[in-house]
Amino acid sequence: MSQAEIHYFGVRHHGPGSARRVLSALEHVRPATVLVEGPADCTPLFSQLARPEMKPPVALLSYVADNAVCSTFVPFVEYSPEYQACCWAVRNNAVLEFIDLPVATRLAQMVAEAAEQTEPSQEDTVEAEPVQEGEEERDFRLSADPIGVLAQLAGYEDGEAWWNDLIEQNADDDHAIFAILDQAMLELRSAALEQCGEHGDLVFARDLPREAHMRLTIGKAAKNSEGPVAVICGAWHVPALQEKHVAKDDRALLKTLPKKLTASKVKSTWVPWTTPRLATSSGYGAGVAAPMWYKHMWQQRNNPNALAYWLGGVARVMREQGHIVSTASVIEAVRLSNGLAAVRGRPAPGFEESRDAVIACLCFGEALIWRKMEARILLGSEVGAIPPDAPLVPLLEDLQRQQKKHKLKPEALPRELSLDLRSGAGAGKSVLLHRLHILDVPWGTLQDSGSSRGTFRERWQLCWEPEYAVRLVEQLIYGSTIEQAAAGKMLETIHTQHTLGLLAQTVQLCLAAQLDEAAERGIARLDERAALAGDCIEFLESLPPLVNISRYGTARDISLEHIDTLNVRLAAQAAIALPYACRNLSDEESQHYCRCVGAAHQAILLAEMEDDAVSSWWQALQEVVDTPTASLQVVGLCARLLYQEQRMAAEVLQVLFQKMLSPAIPAADAARFFEGFFDEAVQRLLYDDLLLNAVEQWLLRLDDEEFIEFLPLFRRMFSSLDAMERKRLLDIVAQDRALVKTDTAYTLNLDAGELWSAQLGRLGRLIKGEQQWYQ
Amino acid sequence: MADILRQPAEVIYQAELEALHAEDSGSKPHNWYVSPKAVVTYLMGGKTAAGVEISAKYIGNRRLIETAVATLATDRALLLLGVPGTAKSWVSEHLSAAICGKSTQMIQCTAGTDENQVRYGWNYAQLLAKGPSREALVPTPLYRAMESGTLCRLEELTRMGSDVQDTLITVLSEKMLPIPELNEVVYAERGFNVIATANNRDKGVNELSSALKRRFNVVVLPLPDDMEQEVSIVARRVEQTGIGLDLPIPKNVREEIEKVVTIFRELRGGETLDGKVVLKTPTGNLSTAEAIAVMVGGLSQANWFGEGALTAEDISANLVGAIVKDPVQDKVVLEEYLETVMKKRRDYAEYYRSMNDVL
Repeated sequence: MSQAEIHYFGVRHHGPGSARRVLSALEHVRPATVLVEGPADCTPLFSQLARPEMKPPVALLSYVADNAVCSTFVPFVEYSPEYQACCWAVRNNAVLEFIDLPVATRLAQMVAEAAEQTEPSQEDTVEAEPVQEGEEERDFRLSADPIGVLAQLAGYEDGEAWWNDLIEQNADDDHAIFAILDQAMLELRSAALEQCGEHGDLVFARDLPREAHMRLTIGKAAKNSEGPVAVICGAWHVPALQEKHVAKDDRALLKTLPKKLTASKVKSTWVPWTTPRLATSSGYGAGVAAPMWYKHMWQQRNNPNALAYWLGGVARVMREQGHIVSTASVIEAVRLSNGLAAVRGRPAPGFEESRDAVIACLCFGEALIWRKMEARILLGSEVGAIPPDAPLVPLLEDLQRQQKKHKLKPEALPRELSLDLRSGAGAGKSVLLHRLHILDVPWGTLQDSGSSRGTFRERWQLCWEPEYAVRLVEQLIYGSTIEQAAAGKMLETIHTQHTLGLLAQTVQLCLAAQLDEAAERGIARLDERAALAGDCIEFLESLPPLVNISRYGTARDISLEHIDTLNVRLAAQAAIALPYACRNLSDEESQHYCRCVGAAHQAILLAEMEDDAVSSWWQALQEVVDTPTASLQVVGLCARLLYQEQRMAAEVLQVLFQKMLSPAIPAADAARFFEGFFDEAVQRLLYDDLLLNAVEQWLLRLDDEEFIEFLPLFRRMFSSLDAMERKRLLDIVAQDRALVKTDTAYTLNLDAGELWSAQLGRLGRLIKGEQQWYQ
Repeated sequence: MADILRQPAEVIYQAELEALHAEDSGSKPHNWYVSPKAVVTYLMGGKTAAGVEISAKYIGNRRLIETAVATLATDRALLLLGVPGTAKSWVSEHLSAAICGKSTQMIQCTAGTDENQVRYGWNYAQLLAKGPSREALVPTPLYRAMESGTLCRLEELTRMGSDVQDTLITVLSEKMLPIPELNEVVYAERGFNVIATANNRDKGVNELSSALKRRFNVVVLPLPDDMEQEVSIVARRVEQTGIGLDLPIPKNVREEIEKVVTIFRELRGGETLDGKVVLKTPTGNLSTAEAIAVMVGGLSQANWFGEGALTAEDISANLVGAIVKDPVQDKVVLEEYLETVMKKRRDYAEYYRSMNDVL
């Protein structure tokens, strides 16, 4: 049988322009066989791609069954040329086949690399995504998105605009376009090879075996095909595929690769994907700058008013966020885009023009307004969907694996579990349960989590519900293993959370779940937020959990130096803000402030900070005491905290007491000061003579009416003492003053007889109702 | 002519404009002297095909100038917005010089500007003699620009009262100026447009009426993004001012300028230059112009009250004054900055101490 005709269509992954050209070329050629760049051993799965229940963005996820950390994903969007080619092939009953290296081989490579990396230090976990760093990243990007790189070199920020301007404008014929592109790639490849010189082989090391495999598969398919063959692959590879190679050499090259993993060890499935994760900014090498813009270009590809629709969409988002955007402004934005394209010498306005026009016409020149909406407009938040019967879900599998590993069985009946975090097994279980908690799967509920007793012990109540499996599936968008998913979700929370206190709690949760990366991001974000936060309460509230982390968190062996620095900083900021914050507060606010200041004070003392940091806190407390308009309750508290640590001399305190409790001060205000000072600390009177003295002197100075006026306050304050304490207090007062001798013996009063008869006379007059009875 | 202190842009850069005009082959909007692309080249600098060097008039983001020129090429008016000292008027002058060869058709808007100075006034002698007629009208720059199809510049638009600003609404949207007294209308010739400049964060300015804002395309000119650039701008201006005031310039002035500009940039940008610590920003705008004023004040103090050398004490009082515009809010910001950033920097120890003293 003769060799079938082969058509090569070099594309830009996720390029709407490419997708359009591929579709029209396929219609033109009408191939009997469609070969697409994608793992060869996943061909059966790909026919599902054309099913109506499959809503892109979706990704083909492959992972090693017993080590889900080694995984690869191949995302597809509506405007991916590969996706459109698959759909076309299924629609037209063409043979659909995938020609890239089998996923089994790719994963075998990854497992080998992972082993190499982990050998020197066992602790490092292997990153899941095959994205390389630094130099390698650029090379990787070159082969993954050569058109994007070319566009950048030409001064475009967006690859599609370059494609439109240079490729589409210069030819109208599909074949001519693909030929131009092939030519460009040929030049680019030889330039890249030249520039790298001796290292050339290294640059292409990743691609050579893949291209060899593709050549072999194409050759085989061409022999068996009953009609023309269409090859859809990254433009970068086309020159290599068209070159003449000896099949024997290719086979020899493939032999050098690690041995394929057996089919039972490799799992592949479809997972729903999200638009933000298609963006280059998410770390996806072949990603695009603005997924939503690309989607728009694809959907409106035949609409001459596509730009107007896009800008209309932007205006809608702005209106939803409360900006007033008139239709007239949108019209102006369209006109300005066209004008800008002319000034820049571009045939049609692209993404950059539309952005600049939006800033000038809709945002009144404020780039900040645009940046605030940018993510929503460009990245979107769409989530794909997969058919319900798609094979296995990796998260559930991972859970089963973890359950086996930690010897935890899912049981429907509640069961108690006590864990010792100091043992490896206990810590492992605790981490797993915490992570599941993050993923909305409350299999275990932590009992008495608020208790202050040691943090190395945890008690859990375990209870498995069937719907947890469903919930896990929903969490797939965050990652394919429990660890990844939990980390992904926490990162998202950290990103959207603004309040310092809640952020600190999130970090605490991350540490409990041993999500180091998320915890680090959280700490970095705390740092960032700390600078912007102005509310003193926020600083005060965030201190106790953070100090807790730095004191106890180390039970889970994570280095927490930066938390200490952050604590010092927060303490400094709280110290600066405090004197201003506690002015003119209502009673309720003062109560809240008192609680927060007390807790923060405790935390600062416990944190064992440097003298510097602590001294600024002392200074702040002193300043509060000296501020005339400060809330008196807070003043009282601050005075006590200062005095307690011997930062305030007894004489000074006495003066302060006299001043604060002097009769000119309204009873209510004096009560606030008194309450602030002695709340939860009346016991101090038992041990502190000086204090007792100050209070006593004040009490003695009070005349009867005032005393009665303050009586409810004393009653309130001293009621926090229990009976024993009250008795001891009384004893002390009595002893000192010698007013009452507790062990007084009864003695006879010789004058009693005289006194008594006079008393009886008075009583008689009183009973008779005489006016002058007391004389 | 040699006695004139400063010539308008079209005179100073006549040679450059003529060179651009001579070889301009691109299509031009009606009544433009050179094509939009050539205008961008004129502002951003470059070289013509004949080899004439075009000096850069604006150093900064090219995209902003492109947006500005593209706006003027449509019939939309352009508003250049920004904090003081960001070359708004400078850009506006050069844009009109390049587009219509005339940058002097300009209205200086102040709180005292009334409608007669924006639309048209009356020559009362003529009015009494002949009654209301075109001859009795005194045209304004705006009026003339409409008649001749050229550009009119409005300087400091927001310093004019909001009610007077609204006079422009009909001109900008309908491109005509009704003269109800004569029952006539002045229709703008093609090529007419308006470039306005305004401060967005300065004290003493009126709100830009939102009806008017919608009729402008707005380009915000930012403060210099490059530290080096800003230091050299400050250094040059300080030197010039110093010479003008007969103040001797001490040797260490450049180092101190670097420190002051660092403090300004960090507070203005809301983070330290190394990007490691995020900071609060004060209410004042801390423009380059203010950095210059702080340095000149310091020089003066060092000269008259100090021992000749410029010290941190001389600068600190001015520095605190420039940063603390709001006695409560800004003070916290500055205190926090001193404690979290300055304290740790050894070479800023003097500043830390003396600024704390001032506070």
